[in-house]
Amino acid sequence: MRDLPTDATGRHPTRLRGRGAVAVWLPVGIVVVLVALLAALFAFGLGRNPTVVQPVIVGKAAPAFRLEELSGRGAMSLGAFHGQVVVLNFWASWCADCVAEHQALESVFGRFRDQGVAFVGVSFEDQASAAEGFARQMGMRWPLLGDPGSATAIDYGVTGVPETFVIAPDGRVVAKTIGPVSYPELSEQIARALPGGA
Amino acid sequence: MDVVGSNEPQERGSSRRGIVPAVLAVALVAAAAAVLAIGARGSAPAQTMQQRVRAVASQLRCPVCQDLSVADAPSPLAAAMRARIASELRAGQSPAAVRAEFVRAYGIWILMAPPRHGLSMVVWILPLLLALGGCVLAAVAVRRWTREGASLRAADPGASSGAGEDHIAADDLTPSDRRLLARAISASVRSGGEGS
Repeated sequence: MRDLPTDATGRHPTRLRGRGAVAVWLPVGIVVVLVALLAALFAFGLGRNPTVVQPVIVGKAAPAFRLEELSGRGAMSLGAFHGQVVVLNFWASWCADCVAEHQALESVFGRFRDQGVAFVGVSFEDQASAAEGFARQMGMRWPLLGDPGSATAIDYGVTGVPETFVIAPDGRVVAKTIGPVSYPELSEQIARALPGGA
Repeated sequence: MDVVGSNEPQERGSSRRGIVPAVLAVALVAAAAAVLAIGARGSAPAQTMQQRVRAVASQLRCPVCQDLSVADAPSPLAAAMRARIASELRAGQSPAAVRAEFVRAYGIWILMAPPRHGLSMVVWILPLLLALGGCVLAAVAVRRWTREGASLRAADPGASSGAGEDHIAADDLTPSDRRLLARAISASVRSGGEGS
């Protein structure tokens, strides 16, 4: 066995022992810190739903649009609804969730139509004839607009259908729902957007 | 037999052993530098409108696809986005302005690669820092092992011969061990002499 080096007095220098301890514990400490950081990152990441994307449009001015009605009655622009709460619903005849949410939309429309809330449907990646047939079949009572080239859908950051935006009287988007809306959720969003709402 | 001549192949072998790691190290550094240089330079500038559209579209994520860029996605929405990019570029918008428009609508998520500013810089810098840290750690470890090897050889010159064998310092043996060892050596010498 090899003896530890000694100083002039023949004692083992404690500095070496200290340095040796640092050499052992420093990498251990670094590994522990890195593992703790990774664990924190995983805990943060696994606690979130990766499919939920925070809509950036909420709180911003609603992008303007001027689109033709599917019925051929003329064009309609967002500016025409200034001072009103607007519920803008992107939908398609081929979309099962759009069928599923229709009853909720219809009920909310019935509840708020007398309070000056405007409902507007925008057809997404659909043929005009198919969209019109679907609207008749479902008994939609609000204007339906065509969106050639999905220009308005892109402006609103639409990632699929159905998606529903609530626009406040001042023209700001105050809520976005990805997927089918529910009666209580949409009612609450509209109530908040109305003048005097919380 | 020429004694001096017999040492030559061994010397040549050891010098070759020294060159191989050096060549490998130089090749690795050169490859890393080339990758960094290509990454920093980016792809060749787009010339035609189609190339310009593709250059912007390839940086944007298709919102209705799984990990596909707008340039590669077959979905109608991606096609609409490509048409939108083309019309914006034709209208004189810069590629950066077109990208910014999509980010305004969809958020930073729409970009295939995180932007190189703000908090997103972390994902660009962290791998480089980790790689650098790994290199430093490896260099320190190699240096320590080399030093330990050198000091061991200096303390026990006999250790350099017969690589792979365990060496015991003469001081570590008890008198009975020494007697046993001497007997074993003489027996081995005898049997070696008989064999030849």
